[in-house]
This record gives sequence, C-alpha cells and structure tokens, in this order.
Amino acid sequence: MRVVIDGVAVSVPDGATVLDAARATGRWVPTLCFDERQAAFGACRACMVGVEGAPGGAPLPACTTPCRDGMTVDTEDPTARRVATAVVELVLSELPEPPAPHTELAQVAAALGVGEPRWPGETHAPEPPDTRHPYLAFRHELCISCGRCVRACDEVQGTFALTATGRGFHANVAAGLDEGFRASACVSCGACADTCPTDAITEVSLLGMMEVSA
Amino acid sequence: MTLFDSTVTTTCGYCGVGCRLEAHVRDERVVSISPALDGPANEGHTCLKGRFAHQFSRNRERLTTPLIRDTRGADPRPATWDEAIERIVTELTRIRSAHGPDAIAGLASSRATNEDCYAMQRMMRAAIGTNNIDNCSRVCHSPTSYALRKALGLSGATGSFSDFDHADATILIGANPTEGHPVVGARIKQATLRGMQLVTIDPRRIELADYGVLHLSPRPGTNAAVMLGIAHVVERDRFVDRAFVDARTEGFDALLELLPAYAPDAVEAITGVPAADVEAAAHIYAEAANACFSWGLGVTEHKYGSEVVQLICNVALMTGKIGRPGSALLPLRGQNNVQGSSDMGALPDTYTAYRSVEDEDVARSFEAAWGVPLSRSKGLTIPQMFDTAVAGDLKAMYIFGEDVAQTDPNTAHVVKALESLDFLVCQDIFETETTRYADVILPASSFLEKSGTFTNAERRVQLVAAAIDPPGEAHTDFEIIKAISRALGHELDWSDPADAMDEIAALTPDWAGISHERLGRHGLQWPVAPDGTDAPILYEREFTREGGRAHFAALPYKAPGDAADDEFPLILVTGRRLQHYNAGTMTRRTANIELMDADVLEIHPDDAARLWIADGDRISVRSRMGRIELPAQVTDRIERGHVFTTFHFPETRTNLLVGASADVNTSCPEYKVIAVDVRPIGERASKTPALAGGA
Repeated sequence: MRVVIDGVAVSVPDGATVLDAARATGRWVPTLCFDERQAAFGACRACMVGVEGAPGGAPLPACTTPCRDGMTVDTEDPTARRVATAVVELVLSELPEPPAPHTELAQVAAALGVGEPRWPGETHAPEPPDTRHPYLAFRHELCISCGRCVRACDEVQGTFALTATGRGFHANVAAGLDEGFRASACVSCGACADTCPTDAITEVSLLGMMEVSA
Repeated sequence: MTLFDSTVTTTCGYCGVGCRLEAHVRDERVVSISPALDGPANEGHTCLKGRFAHQFSRNRERLTTPLIRDTRGADPRPATWDEAIERIVTELTRIRSAHGPDAIAGLASSRATNEDCYAMQRMMRAAIGTNNIDNCSRVCHSPTSYALRKALGLSGATGSFSDFDHADATILIGANPTEGHPVVGARIKQATLRGMQLVTIDPRRIELADYGVLHLSPRPGTNAAVMLGIAHVVERDRFVDRAFVDARTEGFDALLELLPAYAPDAVEAITGVPAADVEAAAHIYAEAANACFSWGLGVTEHKYGSEVVQLICNVALMTGKIGRPGSALLPLRGQNNVQGSSDMGALPDTYTAYRSVEDEDVARSFEAAWGVPLSRSKGLTIPQMFDTAVAGDLKAMYIFGEDVAQTDPNTAHVVKALESLDFLVCQDIFETETTRYADVILPASSFLEKSGTFTNAERRVQLVAAAIDPPGEAHTDFEIIKAISRALGHELDWSDPADAMDEIAALTPDWAGISHERLGRHGLQWPVAPDGTDAPILYEREFTREGGRAHFAALPYKAPGDAADDEFPLILVTGRRLQHYNAGTMTRRTANIELMDADVLEIHPDDAARLWIADGDRISVRSRMGRIELPAQVTDRIERGHVFTTFHFPETRTNLLVGASADVNTSCPEYKVIAVDVRPIGERASKTPALAGGA
C-alpha cells in the first residue's frame, strides 16, 4: 500500500506502522519507549503525529498506528509536536539532573528543543548506583518507566527477570523481587542496559566515564 | 555526544553463533561492547560473554613479548622477535633434515580467523612440507562435518538460525544453547513462546526443556537408538515423504531393513526413554509442516557421534524436511570459527572446502599457486599427533591458539606427548597449561586486535575488524605466521588478510565470490558464486553429491566406549556453562569470575543422599583414567545415575578423567560418556552399589 509522509509518497508492506513508513522516508519521529527489537508499546506518547482524517483531528502515536492505503501523515503537525514536547518536558521534570548528553533521552529532548523543564514539583532523589552485579548497574532515579528494559528481558532474551514496580511518581523497575540483578534470574545478557534510553540501567564500567563527560 | 573515542563493528570471538558487535574504544582500550542492530545472526542481541567479557584483552597477564625457555621446566625468559624466530627456524630446520617433514606437526585454531588458519596450513604444507595440520574442531564438530558430507554433500548447516523463526517444531539434541550459545538459546526460547513445538533430548533437564513440549533423557551414548526409534515411528505411521525419497535420495531400502529392530519398546530398553515419548517426538517432528533439527557436542563427542549425525539426517530426509525455510539441519558449532578453520583446510586430509590432499587436480592447483611440491599423503589428526609423539616419531609441534593440556582428553597422555617432543612452539595470548611445555612462546592477538573473517554456524563468512592494537610487542597471528613462514623460506606474499582471502577465493570454487569488500556488514553464506550470490539455504533442488542425491545411512545402534560397572557406577557428562568459555583463558580473566568461580559436579539428590554428599561438599571423582576433586552441586536437572561437570578451570583438570575412546570416523573424543566413582573426600576407595543401570 502507499502512504504519504510529509508530502512524500512511500510504498509499505501490510502491517507497517506509521513509524515504519516515516523511517522508510527518512523522516525523524521522536520516540522514547520504542525499540525496533521489541513489539510496539505505545506508552510514552512522544511519537505523536498528525494523520489526515483522524477522529477529532487528534494526533496519533506513530508506533502503534497501522498504515492504511492512501493515508496522509504530517510528522511535524503542530498539535502533535506540542504534545510530544510536553511529554518529554514532563519526563525531564522528574529527573534529579538533566540527562547525560550521550543518552537517547537527551538527544530526543535536544531535537525537540526541550530545555530546563518549566514544572517545579518533586524530583527523584539521587542515590548511589546499585552495583551489586559486576557488570550491570541500576540508577533508579533516572528511570522514566518506558518499559524497554522489561520488554527486552521478555521479548529479546526471554528471561523475564525484570518487573515494572510502583505507581505514578514511584513507578520504576526491579530485578526479581527487587533483589538486584545478581540474586535475580538475570543471565547478564545486557539487553536491558542496551535499550535503556536514560542510563537507569547501565554498565558498571561506564559509570566513572559518565562523571567525566557530564 | 558519545563516551567513546571510536567504535568498530566486528564479529564476536566466543561461540559459533557469530554475533555482530560494536566494540567501543576509549583511551586505546575496549570499554564497552554492544550488539550491532543489523547483525544477521544476533539481530541486536548478545550475551554475557560477547557483551561483557572483554576485559581480558588488557589483562596484565597478557603475553607481551616472545618468551624462550632455555631449559625444560625452567621459567621462560623474554626474548626479541628476531631471537624467537631464529630459534624456531633453526630447530624446525634441524628436525626436518634429521627426521623429515612429517616429524613436525601444527595446530591451527578454531578461535582464529579464516585468514590465520589458511596461512597456518599453507605454512605447514608449503614451508615445512607436511600435511600434519589439524585444528580443534577435531575435538568438537568433526563428526558433524564428516556426517553432513557423507549424507548431503557439504560440511555445514543446511539453513540459518532464522529457520527457527519459521519452524513449527524443532528437535534439539545434545545441546544446551541458553548456556553454550546464548543468543541462539534466546531465539529458540522466543520461538517456543510464539508456539514452536520444541522437543529436547539431553541427559540433563536443560533450561529449554522447561519451554518445550517434550523432554527425553536418554542414557549417555544412546542417541543413535533414539534417532532410529524416531525413524521407526516415522516409517510405521506413514510419515515418509515418498516423492522426496524417490526423487532425491538413495539407500532408503537399506535403512528400512534396519528399522524393525527399533520399535519404541526396544528403544526404551536401550535408552531408558519411555516408548510413548519416542512416539510423541516422532509425531511432533513429522506432523509439523516445517521442522528443524539442531544439535551440539552431546551428539558428536561420542564413540559413534558421526553416525548419530547421519541418523539425524535420515529422519530429515525421510520426511523431506530439508532445503526450505523452516526446515533445516542446524548444528551449533562450538567456537567462533570451528566452521571456518576446517573450511580453510587446516585439516590433515583436505585443502580448502574439504578437497582431499590425495586429489591430484586439487593438489596441482595449490602447487601452481604456491610454487612448491606438496605431499599427497594424509597427515596426522590431533590424537594421532600425541600418539606419534609418545612413540618418538613426532619431534616438533607448533600449537597456535589451543590449550591441549587442559581441553584435550586423557590429559596425562597429552602431557607425556608434549614432554616427548624435541621442540614445541606455542602461539597464544596468555600462558596456558600447554605453554608450560613450550620452548618458544609467541605473544599473539585476541579477536579485538585483528582483522580478517570468521565463519559462523550458518556458513556465514563475516568480517572481523581490529578495535585496538595488540598489547606491547604482541603481533597479530597473521603477521606472526607470515614472519615464520618467510624465515622458513616460503614467502606468504599477502599485504593483509583481504589479500589472503583473494587467494582463497581464487583457489576454492565454493568461495569464488568472496572478498572482504563484498562481505560488508552482513557477510555471505558459502557457497558463494563468482557473481557474489550466496546460499542461505542449501539443497533446494539437489544435493551436493554425485548424482545430486542424498544418502541414507543404515547404521545400527552400538554401545558407547565406556559403561558403568561396580567400580565406576556413575556416568559423567562434561559440558559448558553460560559464564565461561571452554578453557576459560579469557573469561576467567574478566568479572565473569564473580558470577562463577569454580567447576562443580552436578549430582542428582538421590545419588547424593546414597553417597552421603551434601550440596557444596568437596568430593572426589575417579575414572579409569584419573581422579579430580571439586565441589558438588545437588540438583535434579541431572538424571539419577549421571553426573555433569565443566572444564573451565585448570585447577580442576576435568579432562584427566577422559579416556582415549573416540568417534570411529573422525577421532573426536568421547567427552560425554565417562564411567566414574564419586565419593566424599576422605572416604576410602571401595565398592559402592551400582547406581547407573537401574536409573
């Protein structure tokens, strides 16, 4: 089928999402909870785009919206972009410090032009990294609950060692029964650290370098 | 925006899956490794070893200068490259003059690149003048290679790992991929979660057994009877694809004559697998529209390992499940380049692509290219090298990247062989159990420090790129072998590994279309036509044998080389764990040691109770060959009557227990069936009740 992304017609296979189509035309759509190795999740709402004829003219999430033949998409639809920007700003507003420049979150924020969040409110308190595992470290205060690590453990590795915990402001991630990676069922594959967009799960050996480069 | 100075895409140097990796470098060290999202075999995933176990590359125990041992048993002293090379050339030349070229033997390494292995076999054949060249695939998948060539034509998997994604069922035999090949293990696990029916066949209840629909625990050494039983049920219940058998195979009638003896009841008597489970396994495989077989060293490292692989091929051929997506035979090759080291002719009987040294036309083509006369007689296999050394007829060995004194069977015999040599050269990245006996030790490079290609278990040739330089005075293996060959009077006239690959392609029809430039990011699966077309699926239309037909093997079950008795009542199986890799030379020098720091002996709770062994107790394990001590781990993953351990730690020396029994066709050692006596330390050796037979 054919869809039009920002005025450019592109042919996509059945089952392709709007995000697939946008990427096929080389258009950038901000994402936080998306990883091409995992099934689309649709949780973060950073990938909102405008779709002609959408109910009520509301923006739609590109990662979970299937393409339909003849669909016309505006990736820079002003309403959609305003929603995405607000989402990222809200995410940043809970963090104790701006995300490190090498992280996906920092790059998405920069691309959307999100600076210092305008919302004061509570931020997560910094805590020492959990380095009980020789390679994998938790920095829970950086977790934005995108769920990528949990899904990497389930859908890529198949070990089911990670769990989403808590609600609202306290939403976070835990290995096993919050016993740390080493005591959990974790097989140390590192898929969680690889997908994490914020360093909430990272490599122990990189912790020192982050302080240097921050 | 990045924490790293540079990032290099390369291919993992651990197991045979062939994950593509991004190696991130900072201050001339590899500080992090992440999976390449477009890696065909790993698709953006990797494991504990590939991702994290890289610190060994800058471990302070790395060899950074050549070492010479002036007196046997003394500590070696640092030497210059010139001095080391001169010593090697002097000794090898002297031995060749006095005893002939066949008094010298070389081992290439399944850890090294194709170009390294090709250079090594060319040096042995052209510079020394002998076919005494072998590699460590001898002790793991040589039976697979032999059997696939016999049955189908080519020595490699018939498909790709992506076939698991398209299969409705898979039978996995003698492999524990979630530990030995973790990325493929994850792939199989995901396939089962999507509905693929998995049958596991292993003496241990491996992790994947929990994800499968059926687990069979045959007594070690009885895989052949299981496969014949499955073939029996396939035939009895009319699952034979007659059209496929008639059009594309030969020898089926001979197999039919054999099958009546392997009714499920008879198979149960031999293997201990319930007859109903044999029937169920056959039905799951045969009823699936598409199904795969996958196997590992639990199939091959047996007295009749090569025959079992042929019996697996039988079942695939009977049902026509071969040569299309989702229906493949997928051996899980152990080391990163087990496939390639053998493809490259680092074998005593073949040049590249398994063409016999006795084939006049092939030999002439290499003579023309190399400008020297070449021997037409087969050389020695690794076990034969040790036998010949002990007998006094092999005088020198050049061992590149293999720790034979830790990993080969019958350790006492191996050590005696090494001590019997007049001259031993080792080329490695660390001192090992084997380098203790070396006269010259050459400091080599790890996979992070070299360029070339590895060939994975899918026959996929993939580029390896250096992320960092070798430490100190260490050199790449390619440069070392070139330097020694030149000093021996035979110039390997390649400027770099890409040049060597061009020679390989020119001399090897199945590799004709391969060049480093063409391999790109995704590699190519041989055979590769001159125009660069590769072969993800083999045998779509015909088999690569004379007449284009596959061959059924009519081979009966035969008892393994060792058996439990009153004195040695338990059967030991050896294997690997997730955290460590083979001899552990690399992984023991990383933080993986914090996750697992010793070999342990797995023993069933019932056996442990009878022997008064508690979890964690230090115990003695004695076989007909030797005795070791290690801690016990009481677990019901293992069946009654069987025990399991690994060979990752030199202090354990597991291979002291393994005897000389080996595959009848390829001399691959029988690491998987060792009768042992297990008891708490301190208890006097005496007869204990027989436990094995009745389990």
